[in-house]
Amino acid sequence: MHALYEWVAGPLTWVAFAVFVIGLVFRLVQVLVMVRKTEPFIFTYMSWKFSLRSIGRWLVPFATLRWRTSPVMTVATFAFHLCLLVTPVFVLSHIVLWDEAWGVQWWALPDAVADVMTVVVIAGCLFFAGRRIVRREVRFLTDASDYFLLALTAAPFVTGFLAYHQVTQGAGMTIAHMISGQVLLAAIPFTRLRHMLLGWLTRAYMGSEFGGVRRARDY
Amino acid sequence: MKIKIGILLAVLLGSVLVVLAFGQYEMQVVENYYFPNPQRPPAVFEHDRHNETAELWDCMICHHVYDEQGVQSDWESSEDQACADCHGLEDQGGMPGLRKAFHQSCKGCHLTERKGPVTCAECHVKP
Repeated sequence: MHALYEWVAGPLTWVAFAVFVIGLVFRLVQVLVMVRKTEPFIFTYMSWKFSLRSIGRWLVPFATLRWRTSPVMTVATFAFHLCLLVTPVFVLSHIVLWDEAWGVQWWALPDAVADVMTVVVIAGCLFFAGRRIVRREVRFLTDASDYFLLALTAAPFVTGFLAYHQVTQGAGMTIAHMISGQVLLAAIPFTRLRHMLLGWLTRAYMGSEFGGVRRARDY
Repeated sequence: MKIKIGILLAVLLGSVLVVLAFGQYEMQVVENYYFPNPQRPPAVFEHDRHNETAELWDCMICHHVYDEQGVQSDWESSEDQACADCHGLEDQGGMPGLRKAFHQSCKGCHLTERKGPVTCAECHVKP
């Protein structure tokens, strides 16, 4: 168990982060090269102003028409994504490990708050899964990979929640937590989870086309 | 008769003192009242049982004393001091803050020895 822990907490963590970062850089370059090859005219109307205007608008809940027409989805997706990104970076137990490994530390969430945020992420995954079953237009676009990605996303949070609440004894749940987090990180560049990076480009493109070409708003 | 009662009282008093002294010495957890807002329960640590199980007889492994150059004394130990007497809440130069010192001592040794708990919940057990 100790050897497994050391391996997972050490080399495997580095591998996961390396795949995550290099994979996303690769994806970014791949998209830019593809656009340059097939639709280079796009670069003629890409605009910082309209890109940032669109991104800024869509970052604010209820600031766009789409957010206003689906209020439940809006609340769910903002709460989910906020907790998904903030919790792992600011949860105390992660900060303790970074401090011990590299001597860097920053402000930590109280454990009780991180606990609630973890539940929000898990509930969000269940909500999105339920939506794919209940809403006909979404079900039409759904296949098994969508549920797999939701399970992949929920896994580190479910195992983290169970480890924190000491539902099982021993190191097993924490090791499962670490491995599921690493698998999730490494999977991001190679699955639709890459919207973590490319979603911003899509938004920038939409903002630029609507603002610069159609002379309209995309929100 | 008076002498017998006196002896009896002395034995009783002695027993109470011994129980009190050893009761206090039998450490069960690493107290966390030094930390302003502890988020986890104190780490379980039964001092005597731990050292018997681990066959750890060298007190200086944990109760160490370092000089200003960061060299550990090979003759002086610090059982008469609290860890927090030296270790502050934050790192100070080469001296780790109290939390890091506890974690590095316990977890570090457990990893080296391939024995004992290494994850959060294994030590910070909820009551």
